[in-house]
Amino acid sequence: MLVVVIAVAVAVVLVVAWLLSRRRTPDGVDSFRRQIDALSPEARRPTIDKIKPSGDGDDPLDGNQSEGNES
Amino acid sequence: MARDLAIDLGTANTLVYMKGRGIVLNEPSVIALNRQTGEVLATGREAWQMIGRTPGYIVAVRPLRGGAITDFEITERMIRLLLQRVGVSRFTRPKVVICVPSAITEVERRAVTDAARRAGAADANLIEQPMAAAIGADLPIDEPVGNMVIDIGGGTSETAVISLGGIVALEAVRVGSFDIDAAIQNFVRREHGIAIGERTAEEIKVAIGSADPTPDENQAEIRGRDLMTGLPKTVLLTPEEVRFAIEDVVSSIVSSVIRCLSKAPPELSQDFLVRGMYLVGGGGLLRGLAERIERETEVPVRMSNVPLEAVVLGAGHVIEHYEALKGMFMGARR
Repeated sequence: MLVVVIAVAVAVVLVVAWLLSRRRTPDGVDSFRRQIDALSPEARRPTIDKIKPSGDGDDPLDGNQSEGNES
Repeated sequence: MARDLAIDLGTANTLVYMKGRGIVLNEPSVIALNRQTGEVLATGREAWQMIGRTPGYIVAVRPLRGGAITDFEITERMIRLLLQRVGVSRFTRPKVVICVPSAITEVERRAVTDAARRAGAADANLIEQPMAAAIGADLPIDEPVGNMVIDIGGGTSETAVISLGGIVALEAVRVGSFDIDAAIQNFVRREHGIAIGERTAEEIKVAIGSADPTPDENQAEIRGRDLMTGLPKTVLLTPEEVRFAIEDVVSSIVSSVIRCLSKAPPELSQDFLVRGMYLVGGGGLLRGLAERIERETEVPVRMSNVPLEAVVLGAGHVIEHYEALKGMFMGARR
């Protein structure tokens, strides 16, 4: 009896895990849409706004650019 | 828990963007070593100041040339030290996105990702520089329109047509602003008989270098070592001479832009006439270059608002939206 209960529980867990993994896998349309949305000017604004002019010799961890150089 | 990082591993400079914080490091890609012990003496700006001015036992080197790793071990050590400076340790291993030239080979790709992983990254993915530059330059690459970006770095120049988040046409040459410096060095040696260092050549480029005649041009006084006598010597250099010296390099860059334009689909080509092309990268700051490209292509050329940081900002945006944009990594689309 116990073996049957364990087998059923394992089967249920496997089915649930499989369903969750299917739900997490985006199809082509969804992932393309998410990529395009993430590239929109509104989505990019917070990143691009992080660049602020500052003086030389700043603490490198202060979140500002320190000096313009060619890359 | 380490914050994830985006790295613009340039031939000239390395910039690091930290997720949620912005650009946290901007240093020359230079490392100074003790030649005898192999010990690292300095990195970044401090090492850059040593170039050409070191005693025999110290060597200050750029471990990247033409956008590619020329010395794997030194590059790895440089990356490790730079990551340590932004807080990465063996206990805090961040995900890292690294910008690389689009034309790098599979072997070079592996070298970059291996160097980053061995330097402390938990996972390292690569993104093409022109794509990152277009994201960072705030071009509307999410729309079905032609966006053209010209990224002129220290060792590579890349032109890409981008639409709907993907590269449509691409042209890359392993020529950049270091080649301009080298051309100036060679010219001064050949025509004036004096030897100058690479930093002096860069200063000449910044002071009087141009790709096209510009208003208010001045001569520059150049100091170097006379090749005949070995004594210090001063000569005057004109902007025309510098233009002549760098003509081959500039022509090569302009030709690659023209080749990229010719690869673009006609539907996107017409967009360039209205929207123009965007110039990013330190090499793009050469006076008269935008005008020269515009004259030869008859397409308007505009300078990005953030020419020096566009690439790392673009990669930084990818690290901020890692899950949504991981399809843009090199290799993910193939």
